Amino acid sequence: MTAEPAVGLKALHTKRGWVGLGVAALLMCVILPALSLGTSASSALHVPDYLIALLGKFLCYGIVALAIDLIWGFTGILSLGHGVFFALGGYAMGMYLMLSIGAQGVYKSALPDFMVFLDWHELPWFWRGFNNLSVALVAALAVPGLLAFCFGYFAFRSRIRGVYFSIITQALTYALMLLFFRNETGFGGNNGLTDFKSLYGYDLHEPSTKVALYVCSALALLLTYLLCRYIVTSKAGRVLRAIRDAESRAMFVGFNPTSYKLFAWTLSAVLCGLAGALYVPQVGIINPGEMQPANSIEMAIWVAVGGRSTLFGAVLGAFMVNGMRSFFTAAMPNAWLYILGSLFIAVTLFFPDGVAGALGRFKLSPAGIAKRFKR
Amino acid sequence: MGTSALSNVQPEEPVSEEAPTVRKAPETTATKSRRPWSVRPKMIDPARREVVVAGRPAILCVDNVSVSFDGFKALNALTLILDKGELRCLIGPNGAGKTTLMDVITGKTKPDTGTVFLTHDARDLTQLKEYEIAELGICRKFQRPTVFAGHTVYENMELALKGRKGVWNSLFFRLNADQRRTIEETLELIGLHEHAAVRAGQLAHGQKQWLEIGMLLAQDPKVLLVDEPIAGMTHQESERTAELLNSLAGERTVVVVEHDMDFVRSIAKKVTVLHEGSVLAEGDIDSVQNDPRVIEVYLGEPRA
Repeated sequence: MTAEPAVGLKALHTKRGWVGLGVAALLMCVILPALSLGTSASSALHVPDYLIALLGKFLCYGIVALAIDLIWGFTGILSLGHGVFFALGGYAMGMYLMLSIGAQGVYKSALPDFMVFLDWHELPWFWRGFNNLSVALVAALAVPGLLAFCFGYFAFRSRIRGVYFSIITQALTYALMLLFFRNETGFGGNNGLTDFKSLYGYDLHEPSTKVALYVCSALALLLTYLLCRYIVTSKAGRVLRAIRDAESRAMFVGFNPTSYKLFAWTLSAVLCGLAGALYVPQVGIINPGEMQPANSIEMAIWVAVGGRSTLFGAVLGAFMVNGMRSFFTAAMPNAWLYILGSLFIAVTLFFPDGVAGALGRFKLSPAGIAKRFKR
Repeated sequence: MGTSALSNVQPEEPVSEEAPTVRKAPETTATKSRRPWSVRPKMIDPARREVVVAGRPAILCVDNVSVSFDGFKALNALTLILDKGELRCLIGPNGAGKTTLMDVITGKTKPDTGTVFLTHDARDLTQLKEYEIAELGICRKFQRPTVFAGHTVYENMELALKGRKGVWNSLFFRLNADQRRTIEETLELIGLHEHAAVRAGQLAHGQKQWLEIGMLLAQDPKVLLVDEPIAGMTHQESERTAELLNSLAGERTVVVVEHDMDFVRSIAKKVTVLHEGSVLAEGDIDSVQNDPRVIEVYLGEPRA
């Protein structure tokens, strides 16, 4: 009988889906890095450093897009504040990188430069321990997770949903941006954290370090994808979609929507924190600008463009929109926001289920995943 | 404030000879339970329970429940006692409070005063959340069929299946052989075995209604609340539904809200008539239909 939901690895993908995923993973995790490090700069096959840096960023955005798809596409909660979780993860990593500069800064002090500039004489208490990479990594996941848990607990318990929830998340990211802009908050204020030199002893400016970070991001994206895939194909994923489609029915069937939403929401924030922590060493800066409300809206646009509740559509959307962004902000910098806006309108009007949905309709998608999870 | 103090409103008319006798006392007005800070006892006073149950083989008791919406009294000191395994029909004109009563029992609406309890459980259901009440075995079928339209019929059944419903359990959930058999048997019973792999949204209206009943069965409920099961059904479909509901009673307590008197006649042994938020009459279908008060309410005859 085919009606029974598949379990185990079979549930994650069809055979073709697994092959497609394997090819993509091989290309991103092995072939591209090998072509970057293993070939000379003059070779036709050489992957230039700037492309590795760019793709490394996109991979982090892909993780964010998956996180948003989990909460928006599958649970039906539109967050316009995921930038804040991304930035918090980034700040946690930034603090570690800041402290590992040591006395190589402009002021030759063990304290980060901005603290010397502010005439502080010792590390604030919340910076302690951040000279340890594992502490920083745990904080990069735990701080966004904790914030999301507390925020979500009160919001979901009060049954705040729909556009009201989205607006509150905008307020959340805006409030934290204002907080982080202040010098007294202790995170470098306006300028944020920057001028990083090394990560765990490796020079951040070395191409090999960059490729290593890129590979870490690619693996993180792959694992995040498999984790999300596992969740949405498990019974828990079916419950999340049930809550999205008919919350009161789900409640009368005996599920507690609050705990399911809280689970998806918190996990989503943790994944964003992971993305932020991988992103910061690659771009070399984190500042409160990452928490701008517009940034979080753009993240939601990636998922809308790529296609909701397909997972691979979200990653596709993140790559496509950011690819366009890189191109247009160089080619015609003033036009980019108009292009982004029109893109969003066009997708909403003509492809409400995004690129992945459109592919699914033309039967081009690997394994018709889009079709399976379309509303 | 004790439970007894909350629930001493004598119904204005004596509803039936079986209605429990309650002490007369002045109505308390200072008990709006909707306020989160108001403290109501979470347990039912055992002495009160004895009074309400009064030795009947009861399973679910609605004790003196009042609900008002902006001054409109949707339920007015309503008392209703359901016996184990009976099939009870609730009828009444529009606005009589039938759906509100279902809402109160399932926790969707919190009453201003009064309690609801299962005879084998000490808790006051009005203090519980919807999903907690569902876990206790009180299941509800809505007026309009609400199934999970994007899920297949089989997945709908899987979600409804009795069991632990926490996040962690769901993440690592696998159907075992017993559960598979339950699903298959239930699908057989509701005649949707052929359609197990179909998306529920693509089913015909009547099939959705049956699927919903099937989902309730999969929860293995003690009390089944069914709101207008044959609305929009063809004649054959409603006949099948009548058979289905009749076969369910006995093991389970079934409460059916329905307007169609022919349908009620075909299934009910006992009928309760609601009017303006309280019980107007209770008894077998013939005595109820010949009750002058019921005729007056339905036909609007002027009081002699």
